[in-house]
Amino acid sequence: MNDIRIGVYVCWCGTNIAKMVDVEKIAEELSALPHVVLSRNYKYMCSDPGQDMIIKDIHEHKLNRVVVAACSPRIHELTFRKALQNAGLNPYMFEMANIREQVSWVHTDRDSATKKAKSLVSAAINKVSFHEPLEKRTVEINPATLIIGGGVSGISAALEIADSGRHVFLLEKSDSLGGLAAKIDLNFPYLNSATNLLNPLIKRVNDHEHIELFTNVSVNEIFGYIGNFKTKITLKNGQEKELEFGNIIVATGLKTFNPSAIKEYGYGKYSNVITSLEFESMLKEGKILTKEGKVPRNIAIIHCVGSRNSNYHNYCSRVCCMTALKYANQIRSTLPEAHIYQLYADMRAFGKGCEEFYAETSRKDIVFMMFDQRQDLPSVSALKDKNHSELQICFHELLSGEDVEVHADIVILMVGMEAHEDAKEIAHAVGISLCGNEFYLEKHPKLDPVATTTDGVFIVGTCQSPKDIPDSISQAKAAAARILATILKKTVEVEVTTAVVNEEVCCGCQTCVNVCPYSAISYIEDRKVSFVNEILCKGCGTCGSACPSGAIKSRHFTDQQIMSQIAGLMQMVLKEEV
Amino acid sequence: MSFNPKIVAFLCNWCSYTGADLAGTSRMKYAPNIRIIRVMCSGRVEPTFVLSAIKEGADGVLICGCHPGDCHYHEGNYKCLRRYKLLKKYLTQMGYDPERLHLEWISASEGKQFAELVDAFTEKIRSLGALNAKQIIETLT
Repeated sequence: MNDIRIGVYVCWCGTNIAKMVDVEKIAEELSALPHVVLSRNYKYMCSDPGQDMIIKDIHEHKLNRVVVAACSPRIHELTFRKALQNAGLNPYMFEMANIREQVSWVHTDRDSATKKAKSLVSAAINKVSFHEPLEKRTVEINPATLIIGGGVSGISAALEIADSGRHVFLLEKSDSLGGLAAKIDLNFPYLNSATNLLNPLIKRVNDHEHIELFTNVSVNEIFGYIGNFKTKITLKNGQEKELEFGNIIVATGLKTFNPSAIKEYGYGKYSNVITSLEFESMLKEGKILTKEGKVPRNIAIIHCVGSRNSNYHNYCSRVCCMTALKYANQIRSTLPEAHIYQLYADMRAFGKGCEEFYAETSRKDIVFMMFDQRQDLPSVSALKDKNHSELQICFHELLSGEDVEVHADIVILMVGMEAHEDAKEIAHAVGISLCGNEFYLEKHPKLDPVATTTDGVFIVGTCQSPKDIPDSISQAKAAAARILATILKKTVEVEVTTAVVNEEVCCGCQTCVNVCPYSAISYIEDRKVSFVNEILCKGCGTCGSACPSGAIKSRHFTDQQIMSQIAGLMQMVLKEEV
Repeated sequence: MSFNPKIVAFLCNWCSYTGADLAGTSRMKYAPNIRIIRVMCSGRVEPTFVLSAIKEGADGVLICGCHPGDCHYHEGNYKCLRRYKLLKKYLTQMGYDPERLHLEWISASEGKQFAELVDAFTEKIRSLGALNAKQIIETLT
């Protein structure tokens, strides 16, 4: 074996690590470990000077392995692998120790945090000693894209991609395009018609030579990997059709909160308590009437129904406040004499033009009253004296500090957004994760909001989190741009940390064949050994754990590497006691 | 000197390691006794890894994977669960308290649950006392 020469770099991350971990001490003490040629500490290893230092050291000190102790490898592992590559080293001769997210940010005692960090770096040094160079593999990208969901997000993404001449398969669960936006009358804050906005887009999709639209279809399991996915869909007529594509956009949207869960509001009990979506269809028909067909004199709008309330959903649904203001404007112009009451918990007007819209609406003789979400919710009941209105709402008004009664002929509940009941099923079909609220989880909340941890799968619109139409379209176009960029490159690098069988050791028991979730392992009859198809293998390592004879190596997470990592951890721990 | 448990944890990359990172980015605090090893999937956790951690001196071993149905590799966590159950029996037969090994599902959004788990498991191991397997093995061999 060649001489192992390891460079160790301990990052301060400004004060993020350095204030809780004695980085200088660690760097100094670990320089004594076997194979460690040099050990440094530096303010920001991920900065250009930090990376240049590694590159320079690789050249000057003939390093052939590098350990960086810094943030989570989920953040900067790729950054440093690239630095190694720039210095002419194989990028896999690198290991990272996570001493920020899993040490300095979670501990309060500097001494024990330093000891913990030291043992993690020692483990990384041990592991990297057994690292082997892995060769990058590239596969060709199928230029077609599958888009799941024909709402405003899916449509926008489809047009963006198809306009560049690339093929799009657009799947829609219902029989028509448009999603939730198709159920809306006017948009806030400019009060233009949603139909006028949507219809030209839908027409373009229907007429587009590069968009193949399938309605009334649902998603089956999708197989493959970035560049080379495939699935079977069942068409309306019962026929099966196989689709092949290189990238996937999930744009499955959301559903609205069912307010019958909130007893106080009497939804389902009183026919004139309606949801915002039901009111939209009233507006679309151009008639604001009670269920009895009367023109209402009093209309109350209750905000935050199912949102920002720990009994239902903690998050803000982001569009309800402005939609409620839109209703106030529409009611005011149709019924100039009506009393309009806004019962809000907090007014959120963060979008472009929204604060102005709020200010303008508040001058239209509309009563704004605030209630406390954490205390008693407004309570809707039937009025005994029905001279004026059928319903009354009782609540404690926060700004005046008084208990208030509001009479209403119609009560509109601003229902929040929640994830689809089939969100989980679709997540499994495409291989992505859900966040705590069942919306889809993005790769990085700030730096990579439309990608997922599965390469080639993007999430856009309200399936990722509640959002308005401009934000949904921005995400759709961002994902389209990402996909077009990979299509332009024609090839993409795929997982190299796959499993490999040592045929000398393999006894042919086929345990691995049965445990592989990707059917990537087959049994070769004439040689009586197992064989891993590296294109199909995703590197989970479950075969490696199951192999009774130790014939399968899970590259980059080999038995030897992990055992040495354990030994490295414990050696430091025992030496110093925790 | 008071007993400070030594704990090795194996966390899957996609859910649990991300959840542990989230505990960090959310600045939650937990006991510093745990040392985390990242594997791609809880299905990669070989029983010998656990035994090796004990052999090297760990007092307790924690395994965390994605919740049932959420595995990034579809079903690696189920395989982990099967091995875990067998391993618990094995540990009992070896004369170890099976409570020293614990498996928990931690999703990428469960930073808080991870922090609470680490604290609870650390206290559990503290109450079980030191294992000293390394010293015992060295004395015997």
